[in-house]
Amino acid sequence: MAEYLDSERKLNLKVVYYGPALSGKTTNLMQLHTLLNPQRKGELMVLETRDDRTLFFDMLPIGLRSQEGLDLRLKLYTVPGQVQHDSTRKAVLSRADGVIFVADSQLSQQDNNATAFDNLADNLQKLGMDIESLPLVVQFNKRDLPDAIDEATLQARWAQTPWSPLSLASALNGEGVVESFRQLLRRLYPVLDREYQLAGRHGIDAEAFVRQLSAAHEAPHA
Amino acid sequence: MRSFEDDPRLADLLSADQQARLGQLIGALGGGRVSLEEQHQAGAEPLEFNLETIGWLQGELPAERLDAAARLVEFVLLFVAKYRLAANLHNDTTEASFAELQRQHAALQASEARYKALSEQLQERVEDQVKVIEQAQQQLYETARLRAVGQLAAGVAHEINNPIGFITSNLRVAGDYLDELAEKVPGGHSASLLLDDFRALLRESLSGTQRIARIVADLKTFSNIDQADFIPCDLNALLTTSCHLLQAESQQAIDVRLDLAPLPKLAGYPAKLSQAFFNVLDNAAKAIDAEGVIRVGSRLAEDVIEVIIEDNGTGIPPDVQERIFDPFFTTRAVGSGTGLGLSVARDIMRAHRGEILLDSQVGAGTRVTLRFTCPNTP
Ligand SMILES: Nc1nc2c(ncn2[C@@H]2O[C@H](COP(=O)(O)OP(=O)(O)OP(=O)(O)O)[C@@H](O)[C@H]2O)c(=O)[nH]1
Ligand SMILES: [Mg+2]
Repeated sequence: MAEYLDSERKLNLKVVYYGPALSGKTTNLMQLHTLLNPQRKGELMVLETRDDRTLFFDMLPIGLRSQEGLDLRLKLYTVPGQVQHDSTRKAVLSRADGVIFVADSQLSQQDNNATAFDNLADNLQKLGMDIESLPLVVQFNKRDLPDAIDEATLQARWAQTPWSPLSLASALNGEGVVESFRQLLRRLYPVLDREYQLAGRHGIDAEAFVRQLSAAHEAPHA
Repeated sequence: MRSFEDDPRLADLLSADQQARLGQLIGALGGGRVSLEEQHQAGAEPLEFNLETIGWLQGELPAERLDAAARLVEFVLLFVAKYRLAANLHNDTTEASFAELQRQHAALQASEARYKALSEQLQERVEDQVKVIEQAQQQLYETARLRAVGQLAAGVAHEINNPIGFITSNLRVAGDYLDELAEKVPGGHSASLLLDDFRALLRESLSGTQRIARIVADLKTFSNIDQADFIPCDLNALLTTSCHLLQAESQQAIDVRLDLAPLPKLAGYPAKLSQAFFNVLDNAAKAIDAEGVIRVGSRLAEDVIEVIIEDNGTGIPPDVQERIFDPFFTTRAVGSGTGLGLSVARDIMRAHRGEILLDSQVGAGTRVTLRFTCPNTP
């Protein structure tokens, strides 16, 4: 749930990277930290890892200040993907405004993807959130690997869901990371605009919202 | 901090002591006085964390060094914050898990209580069913017994009536012959003694047959089993019959004293009412010894008819009183009674919308009151 402080004209937003263990959530965030050049960008906090696997969460704060004076903050979180950290996952997921589900494209990982997606639906429900109305982007990562399921199959499989089209990425190489993030911003904007009149009261339209929050140093591939 | 993700304030990350010490150390390094402040001061350098200015570094240092010092403080704050965030998250999830555990525990207890209640209910229902079955069984037994006794009695009564009839008339004729014989036999002391004795024998035999005839009549009333509907019953007559039957059945003479008040007729099954009276009387007879007395009374008070059967026998101990109406309960030696007596009497009373009351004292005797409400009393 976004948090708006009228006295400070400050809007706090939260986006969570969710997905199975080792699918590349942390990698996504590290790449965003490198690639993004939004108006404001804080330090990337990689909280605690064991063998490179997230134990608590990672967090990257970014922000923009509109000409109308709205101070908008967006905190990007990753959850730990390993099954046993479910209560941490749930705590981090709580009050999220949007979710990027990072799936692993490798054929061998499809069961893990499904389990993690069920777990997302489950935890959203426990937190009183509705997966159908939550801005959600599904990213299939690790496109560079040889046994990645081919794109046509994946897109066809997801075509009937509210989350089509899928976003494809190779986070290790910085590919598709910013695009996935932009796709989420585009799905997030209408929800926020309805609630906070971003365009009407704060002079932020959809295009400015996406552009300013996801300005990149250089497009990795045009 | 409220939630692990709420932005911390400077004081959340470093205590006042720690702030002072950090300021001192940096001041010593930079060569001038330096302090961390929550409020903005002129010339102070902002300390940022997560895009938020959470404090200010104030100091007597050249701008360049103050800037470097502020970045150093931010660097330190980042690691303090990491630890804080992890600790707070851990705390949040532990609390959530604990709350969840408690919820599950409560749910478990609730379901346990539900099952317990359910099993108790089941137990109750089983007991109720057992009672119903016992009652049905008892009724069945009683009906069958009454029918068998009734049929036997009706058959015996029928068979006996004829021979009794001709025995009676023959005895009368024999008496007449005796009179004739007396006239023809020549007078003499020994002959007239013999004839008087003869006459006495015939008289006794005749009264014996009359007694047999009366018992047969009582048996017929008692075994009036085919009566399907309530008919008007004379309770006093039924009581009297039952007393006769009791005395006839007993080996010893029983002192039964009747004190019956005029009663209105009561709608009921005569055979069953007789059975109820007989069962109570039978118990009384078994409670008394040779000197014992059974008092049988009836009275009418407003619209209630009371039949009271009282004995001065052994009495019934309280623990036995509690169970005396249980089917198959008996205090007498096995074989001497079915134990059904009072329970059958109670069922019969219920069938007549009546009740049976017991008042007994060990050593003093027992009083059984059978109460009928008769609705059609004027
Ligand atoms: N080949 C390839 N490897 C990747 C890609 N993205 C991430 N990886 C690798 O996958 C491994 C796991 O990446 P992480 O980002 O740590 O995965 P995670 O989802 O954060 O994992 P958890 O923290 O355990 O949930 C690392 O060795 C990454 O280098 C990708 O696009 N291609
Ligand atoms: Mg990770």
